Amino acid sequence: MRSDVVRLYKVVHTWTGITAGMFMFIAFYAGSITVFAEPLARWVSSPAPVRLTALARSDELIAHTLAVRPDAAKEFTLYLTDTEDLWARLTWRKGKDDRTPWSAELSSGGDLRLAQSYRSSLADFVDNIHRTAGIPGANDIGETIMGVVSAVYAVALVSGLIIVLPSLVKDLFALRIGANLKRMWLDAHNVVGVVSLPFHIVIALSAVVFCLHEPLYDALDYVVYDGRLKSVMAASNPFNSIKKDERPAPMLPVNTLLERVKAASPSFVPAEMRYRNAGLRGASVQVWGYDARYMTRGKGFAVISPVTGEIANTDYLPGREGTWTGVVATFFALHFATFGGDIVRVCYFLLGIAGAFLFYSGNLLWIESRRRTERRNGGPVNQKTSTRLMSAATVGVCLGAICAISITIVAAKWLNGRVANIDVWHNGVYYAVFLASVLWSFLRGAAAASVELLWLAAIAAAAIPFTSLFSWASPALGMQGSASMAALGVDLVALSAALCFVWMARSAAHRVEYGPADSVWAASHRQLQEATR
Amino acid sequence: MSQIRRDWVSKTSAGAILGFSLAIGLAGLFAWLTPGGLATPNKFQLVMWLIAPIWLTTLSLCFFFSSGMRAWLWLGGVNLLAYAGLFACRSFLR
Repeated sequence: MRSDVVRLYKVVHTWTGITAGMFMFIAFYAGSITVFAEPLARWVSSPAPVRLTALARSDELIAHTLAVRPDAAKEFTLYLTDTEDLWARLTWRKGKDDRTPWSAELSSGGDLRLAQSYRSSLADFVDNIHRTAGIPGANDIGETIMGVVSAVYAVALVSGLIIVLPSLVKDLFALRIGANLKRMWLDAHNVVGVVSLPFHIVIALSAVVFCLHEPLYDALDYVVYDGRLKSVMAASNPFNSIKKDERPAPMLPVNTLLERVKAASPSFVPAEMRYRNAGLRGASVQVWGYDARYMTRGKGFAVISPVTGEIANTDYLPGREGTWTGVVATFFALHFATFGGDIVRVCYFLLGIAGAFLFYSGNLLWIESRRRTERRNGGPVNQKTSTRLMSAATVGVCLGAICAISITIVAAKWLNGRVANIDVWHNGVYYAVFLASVLWSFLRGAAAASVELLWLAAIAAAAIPFTSLFSWASPALGMQGSASMAALGVDLVALSAALCFVWMARSAAHRVEYGPADSVWAASHRQLQEATR
Repeated sequence: MSQIRRDWVSKTSAGAILGFSLAIGLAGLFAWLTPGGLATPNKFQLVMWLIAPIWLTTLSLCFFFSSGMRAWLWLGGVNLLAYAGLFACRSFLR
């Protein structure tokens, strides 16, 4: 590689990295947590106050509900699992954005109990932060911005690779720990970047697609499909696989339908059944579920007719997809870690945290390479305004997001069931903590704020297992902690995170007091002494 | 060999604009030329997925061109080829 090309790509890497860095830090940190969205949802949920109707009575439940509430026939969902984040056996809502769905249960005497309650999900909130990096406003604004940021991040990846290629063999496994701190951070940045490069390429490209698929489809429709893409999409839509037919017809029992799906794919584990137009001849049921043997989009599904029991569509049934949906399902799986079970999920969690480190260390290197160093016999130095601001922003945004997510998780548990609209509280708590952290960082300077915010991060993370302890210790609080392995896993990870933050806070404090004074990371009084000496 | 020119604006715009149109063109050729042609159900998703890697590879690598002018000329040429192919598909495969 010619050295002038490498120099050029260093500039590309610097500016793309610094542009995308902080957005990506938040997206990666929240994304790592989103890998374990289900345990988080179970952690925050109290065991359901109403006992769920036994699965064996599902047919009775459906018949009773439809008799009393014919409006549910258009679309309702029957849940087949028994985890603690499940709050009803059967629910229906009016449209996609209805946040107050109805639910139905059977009492042991056979009476139907209907309820309407506000549902929200903490896991969805963290997922939103992952997808938008917390950019406020409608989700699609945040996602569009993040699509462009992801494209910039892809360029940063390739340019970073081009820079390290010439010295790859020499430098890759050299982690030079020692007096030259910048060298050490650079070595760490390089080894993490190169080792996790395939993961980052997959994430960058798929993130661009997830965020920008609508404009991309528009462009394809205009240039390639001549305006016919809509009809191609409609022809591909699995939900159109059963023709409309409004004559009434009896439906087969739930178990028969599940047996038919099992016959089609024995390893598929159904989790929920979404009925449409129940009671009509054109009714359909989407049986959604998991299959650990294949790379899946998350949940896969088969469409089956509840009247005839025939399977109408398997385009999205893991292992039974066609060529085209099968390939695309692989791309989804590579982003969502929906393959290979818990081992892959743990790997993705660690890769995501390592990714967050990559962006944080990238910003540190930007600051460090602009640092004004004290000359051996020269006069005092003052750090540039740009590095002061960048260090404060990096500390405030990155640590602020970490603190804000932890505190939102804790608040969600304490507020669950006590406030009318918990979504508003999720947002309020997150942005209050995040903005306060950023403000704090600019007011106090990066050095002091890094120590203080790391302590806050440690306390906030530790508050997660302590919340569980409280909820078990005093049932009077009425927020019953869950004791499932999944929920305990959340407590355990949060506790280890707290210990990591303590360690980081202590070493940051050491640097503030004893590190080189000609640095943005030294205590401000030491920098002042330095400047006036 | 002469020094590589920086040409930030012209190289970046070549990679971003011509890289994108090239990606659309090549994805379109894929849609036409793989079995079943344009109207095959479910193919459109994969076609859309192809855009990002082609576009961003072009954008990432276009700084290797020795000047912005060369970037525009080369990428423009490849675009012409891709769209000539797309035009041919439309005329003959419809």
